[in-house]
Amino acid sequence: MFRAAPMAHVTLWLLASEAQDAALLLARHGAFAPAPADGTLPDSPAAAYREVYLEARSRLDKLLEQDGAPPSQVPEDAAAPTLAGLGLVNEELKLIWQAYSAVSEQAAQLQEARQRLAVMRESYARLQGLRLDLSRLFQADSLLATRIGTVPTGNVARLKESLALAGFVLSVFDRHQDQVFAVAAGPRGGQVAGLLSQAGWRDMEIPEALRTRPEAARRYLEDEEARLGAALTANRNMRADYLSRHGERIAEARLQLALARPLAEAAPVGVRGQGQLAVFTGWVPRSGLEALRAALAARFHGRVLSDIRYPDMAEAARVPSLLRYPAWLRPFSPLVRAYGLPRYGELDPTLPFALGYLLLFGAMFGDVGHGAVIVLLFLALGPALKQLLWVGVAAGLASMVFGLLYGSVFGFEDWLPALWISPMHDPLRLLAVAVGLGAVFIVLTLLASIHNHWVRGHGAAALGAANGLAGLLFYLGALAAGASLAGLVDWGLAGALLALAGLAGVALHAGLENHAPWGERLLVSAIETLETGINLFANTLSFMRVAAFSLNHVALAMAVFTLAQGLGQVGQGAALALGNGIIIVLEGGIVAIQAMRLMYYEGFSRFFSGDGVAFLPLRLEK
Amino acid sequence: MSAYLNTRVSLFRARLWHPGDFRALLDAPEEEVERVLRERDLAELAPGYASRDVLSLEQRIIGRVLDETWVLLRPMGGAARAFLLYWTQRFEISNLKTLLRGKMTGERPATLLSRLTPMGPFARLDGEDLAHAEDVAELFRRLEAGAYAGIARQARQAFEESHDPFLLDAALDRAYYEGLAQRARPLEADLGADFATLMGHYLDRINLVWLLRYRFNYHLPPAQVYYLLVNTHYGLSPARLKVMAAQGDMAAVLAALPDKTRRLLEGAADIGEVARRMEQRRLDAAEAVLRKPGAACTRAFAYLTLRERRLREARVVLRGRQLRLPRQAIEATLGPRLVDTGGS
Repeated sequence: MFRAAPMAHVTLWLLASEAQDAALLLARHGAFAPAPADGTLPDSPAAAYREVYLEARSRLDKLLEQDGAPPSQVPEDAAAPTLAGLGLVNEELKLIWQAYSAVSEQAAQLQEARQRLAVMRESYARLQGLRLDLSRLFQADSLLATRIGTVPTGNVARLKESLALAGFVLSVFDRHQDQVFAVAAGPRGGQVAGLLSQAGWRDMEIPEALRTRPEAARRYLEDEEARLGAALTANRNMRADYLSRHGERIAEARLQLALARPLAEAAPVGVRGQGQLAVFTGWVPRSGLEALRAALAARFHGRVLSDIRYPDMAEAARVPSLLRYPAWLRPFSPLVRAYGLPRYGELDPTLPFALGYLLLFGAMFGDVGHGAVIVLLFLALGPALKQLLWVGVAAGLASMVFGLLYGSVFGFEDWLPALWISPMHDPLRLLAVAVGLGAVFIVLTLLASIHNHWVRGHGAAALGAANGLAGLLFYLGALAAGASLAGLVDWGLAGALLALAGLAGVALHAGLENHAPWGERLLVSAIETLETGINLFANTLSFMRVAAFSLNHVALAMAVFTLAQGLGQVGQGAALALGNGIIIVLEGGIVAIQAMRLMYYEGFSRFFSGDGVAFLPLRLEK
Repeated sequence: MSAYLNTRVSLFRARLWHPGDFRALLDAPEEEVERVLRERDLAELAPGYASRDVLSLEQRIIGRVLDETWVLLRPMGGAARAFLLYWTQRFEISNLKTLLRGKMTGERPATLLSRLTPMGPFARLDGEDLAHAEDVAELFRRLEAGAYAGIARQARQAFEESHDPFLLDAALDRAYYEGLAQRARPLEADLGADFATLMGHYLDRINLVWLLRYRFNYHLPPAQVYYLLVNTHYGLSPARLKVMAAQGDMAAVLAALPDKTRRLLEGAADIGEVARRMEQRRLDAAEAVLRKPGAACTRAFAYLTLRERRLREARVVLRGRQLRLPRQAIEATLGPRLVDTGGS
């Protein structure tokens, strides 16, 4: 629970012809995360397989967008397709998609034609109002060339200017959305075809009917509308029918691609080879090694050779972190992941984070009543909150526990006796406790930091860094000296000496780590040492906010009561309900963020790099 | 923020290669090339050089330009940021052309993907998805549902009528540069004459070179040539472009230029020479902007202009060496300013 699962680096040597089956077995096993090989083998034997897989997958996804039938279960004994088999699946999907796509393209064209027809209907109605004889526009003329068409509105001005260079005029007579209807007229033989097509000009096909009698024109438009509607319905049916006729083939292709996916996924990182040999490299949790060995032996009968080694800390940055949590702790892990993933071998701060976060939230928002409302609120919102549900409930419970310790119920401090301390009645003591809590918190983070430096192999940093042993000695010494000054203990001299020794260690480490000239080293050492002292002092005082927020909670409740007392009975009830609601939502929200801030900035930033690599094993598609 | 950006640009300016750097790269024996590049802060070009992967070299150069643009964009806001962001999109327009041409010739998705320039945080196209489109029609449909819907729609309309890849490229380029000119216009009031000069030299060069190519290489009629040019208000105004497009030969076009540009191009015998002189004028203007104090955003734009150019010139040397071209040929391509032994 405090560290990622121990890993083993596994190299598997096998026949390239069995690579897809080996990858499938590894995916079924679910505990092999591909990792880059050392590069001694020159080929990528699965590159072609991946390329074909991606093409086929893209075609399948496009088909599934049209008909999202649920996936079928992958049979236990199914084998992955070979490259040739996968190629056939790809070709089949290509044919199915190309045929479907052609019909879809027809549908898009029919839709466009329908839109044009609607626009034509409107335009025709307007032209009728102008009493224009359309047939005259289309009469052949030995001098004048005339075209009627549509062009995007944005291109009209430029097209007009350009046509003028060729002796043409452009006259716009109607517009619809982003298109205009226009007549282009100019000398016969003028070179404007290229220009018009460049400008997105579409000639309007004016049927004979529209050039003649109004009733014939109306009938033509209605017939055309009915024809396009019927064509669209037929097209829709054709597509549905096509998909249903090919449903089984698509389902089979889907299964084949699910079986091919493990090798395609492993290909870019964890599969190298030469000639007939393929080599898989990856990480496997040590606890899963035996099961993997047995599965490989059962399937390949000794045709797969394996090489297993355990990582040293020098390569910890490349080893993936597999973190397992009990169910009650799992909801807190996303909050830690939001900061980063623990590096392999480092301390996983999820458990301390959960405990620390609840402690801080409860201490800053200690109230039995408000805590109970938070619990009920989160329970009422229920599954919609998913993992956050338990975090909210736990925070509410922590608030209730501290409410009992503070004797606070909906801000009333006299309904329950305080089991420990009443914030409003003894604020100084609460501030001192908060600072003490901060000191303990910082000492723990420094210990965690020393551990992490050490396991990374950074011995010098573990001893001399500001967040190493030297920093810890300085901090403990300074605390002892401070406590002596406050008259709590009599360790003044010892504390001061310890603090000085710690500071000297920090300065020495900073100087040695810096490879600049001596003058610069001295300057950097001095500044870093000073910064260490100031930071630790400021970080400790930062915890005073824990006491400040618990006081703030009581003060806000008092303000609500005071306001409510000035109102009538109904107004009083409403003010109390509204005031408590605001306290829970606003103050509760602020405290939740403050607790997170303390954990991230005063805690994680001291010891947690968060640059771990997630363990992402090959898995079968669900 | 302006002070920060100015400081940033001044620091970046030190990265610009000088003639001495080009000479060092030209003079270096084969085994020393990587060292020369690393010493001059272009370590990322070294692996590309060693593997002789031309495409990768181009991608690395653009990657470096994009990285530095990202740094310069951080303190920017409003119209200046929008302009610079749009300016980087020309690399993505180039990706778009690659995708379209690839689909026309039936290239496989993996091949296409390897030819796309990675845009990092600037990416607006889903290359993986688009590369797997079945054909040009499907690609256009997908593009019209994405970030480049407007540009793609115009290109599709032009392409559906003509099915000419050249006209498709021209439509894409025109749509992009129209957008750039529109974004630059509101900035001119804030950023002053220097910015207008840089943009003017940039878009005038594009318009003039396009005009000459469309008119005399592709033999398009004047009306179509004029339509394909970018609508700007700089030295080459629409009225002048109309006159120039109507001319029957290159000399007449050059004679119709404004006095200053005409003098600059006096004696230019071919379109390549015209492009070189116009480009040099733009670079000179960018250098002048960088040398003096001024609006931080203009200086950032000038820096990026020069940086990209210098990186491409470094690529010229690397490619020349890879192809075992004579040194004189490489020097001729670089031009006398960069190989002048008197340079620093």
